[in-house]
Amino acid sequence: MRPILQIVSLLALIALTLPSAVFLAGRTELNMVKWLMLLATIVWFVTATPWMWKDNGS
Amino acid sequence: MDTEQQSQQAQAAGEFEREPVPKNALLGFKSFIGMYAGEHCAGTELMIGPLFVAAGVSAFDLIVGLLVGNALAVLSWMFLCAPIATRSRLTLYYQLEKICGRKLVTLYNLANGVMFCFLAGAMVTVSATAVGVWFKFPMPALTDRLPNSVGWVVAVAVVGGLIAIVAAYGYKTVAKFANVASPWMVLVFLAFGFVGLREFIVATNTEIHSMGDVWMLAKTHIWKGGEPLPGQVKFTIWHVMFFAWFCNMAMHIGMSDLSVFRFARKSWYAIATSAGMYVGHFMAWISAAILYAYQLHLDPADTDVLPGPLAYRAAGLAGLLCVIIAGWTTANPTIYRAGLAFQALSPKSSRFKVTLITGAIATIAGMFPAIAMKLLGFVALYGLILMPMGAVIFVDFWLIRKFGMQSSYAELSGKTFNWAAGLAWFVTLGIAWVLVKFAGVQIFFVSLPGWFVAAILYIVLSKFYQKQLRPAAAQ
Repeated sequence: MRPILQIVSLLALIALTLPSAVFLAGRTELNMVKWLMLLATIVWFVTATPWMWKDNGS
Repeated sequence: MDTEQQSQQAQAAGEFEREPVPKNALLGFKSFIGMYAGEHCAGTELMIGPLFVAAGVSAFDLIVGLLVGNALAVLSWMFLCAPIATRSRLTLYYQLEKICGRKLVTLYNLANGVMFCFLAGAMVTVSATAVGVWFKFPMPALTDRLPNSVGWVVAVAVVGGLIAIVAAYGYKTVAKFANVASPWMVLVFLAFGFVGLREFIVATNTEIHSMGDVWMLAKTHIWKGGEPLPGQVKFTIWHVMFFAWFCNMAMHIGMSDLSVFRFARKSWYAIATSAGMYVGHFMAWISAAILYAYQLHLDPADTDVLPGPLAYRAAGLAGLLCVIIAGWTTANPTIYRAGLAFQALSPKSSRFKVTLITGAIATIAGMFPAIAMKLLGFVALYGLILMPMGAVIFVDFWLIRKFGMQSSYAELSGKTFNWAAGLAWFVTLGIAWVLVKFAGVQIFFVSLPGWFVAAILYIVLSKFYQKQLRPAAAQ
């Protein structure tokens, strides 16, 4: 389970950054960037918290 | 600004508080990279970047000033702080107690606690600007010094109150949450920069074909230089460089990070601080600055530095969450640590109550926008106040025996207040005050000569002080 969560959270970080990079290149709308960033944020906190919490010594 | 780092120190303080860190507890290089990279991306970065723009900085002065200033900060950690930390392996407070005595360390704690309170107040201010996006109450302007609306006071009271209660109840939980949030926060800051840059490209009809075009856009539209906004000090390359170098002065030259690097196997591990400097104090400041410059580009009369609306405009709810979480996760350890510092004055008092009272003071401070809107000057003052004790530690560790005197004199003599160290501290601050008040030296530049003044004073005063007390100590 842990490796899956780690992979998904890594993908969430990529999804968080990529839309703004695409926006910088002029290939998407800002509204789309905002929604994708919010989605990536939710996925990050849901998937990263379980394994990072343990790494921090819970 | 690094305040989460203080939380690590507070946690570390529970271990090997009054003994050197043993070999089996030492940490590898990677631990320090992760720690510093996340910790220097805090809520206050969202104020500092825009304030550079408000200070009328030019593109060249900003970029080169930050590159050089941050490099000097890293070198200060590497060559001033870490070599002592990895040799003595003691906390700052135990090292200081051996040199200065318990009573002087208590006074140092008090100064540290007060500064932390105000810093936490600025972080509460940052978080409260996000609340204003939802509730639409009037928020402070760049020139405001006092609270300007009931809505603002209520928002700060609610945000600050929640932060204080959480810090008192569950400090460690928030510290762990901060570690989870930190990679996300760094990338949201990067996204701020990308979005802001694109908006500038569109708004100015700039054609970008090379990095040269980006640089031209930066020079002509983002950081144009010129006069600062009303009430702000004009920033040149020297201001930017010294600010970047000294904004964490309490940690490197002031030796606060002895408590962190005592766990490092080698002193060169302090190069890991460059991850924090060039992520938080370069990328994050630049990103936040671009957002504010764009706001000014759209409406030059809209000079308000409000991280909430800035972040919301660029990244929607994710941006707003970033402002709240960045302010919350950095105010939390700051309030906790200020509480610990105050508790040292009255060890029998409840930590819970002290933290709540500290949080209340920080919340009241946060209601006054003067601290956040003058954050550049406040951060310089914070470093200046704690810096002389770093000079005392440096001299005591490396030089004082070469002058025929004892190091760790308070420990050897049993004195609880080393007057040589105390006077070196007070007189240095007095001289700095005179230089700023009457000689026209700006606060950003006074700490560098101040360090040498403190070092020389400590040597000269120790010559008299140790001579006077040695016979008594020997009895």
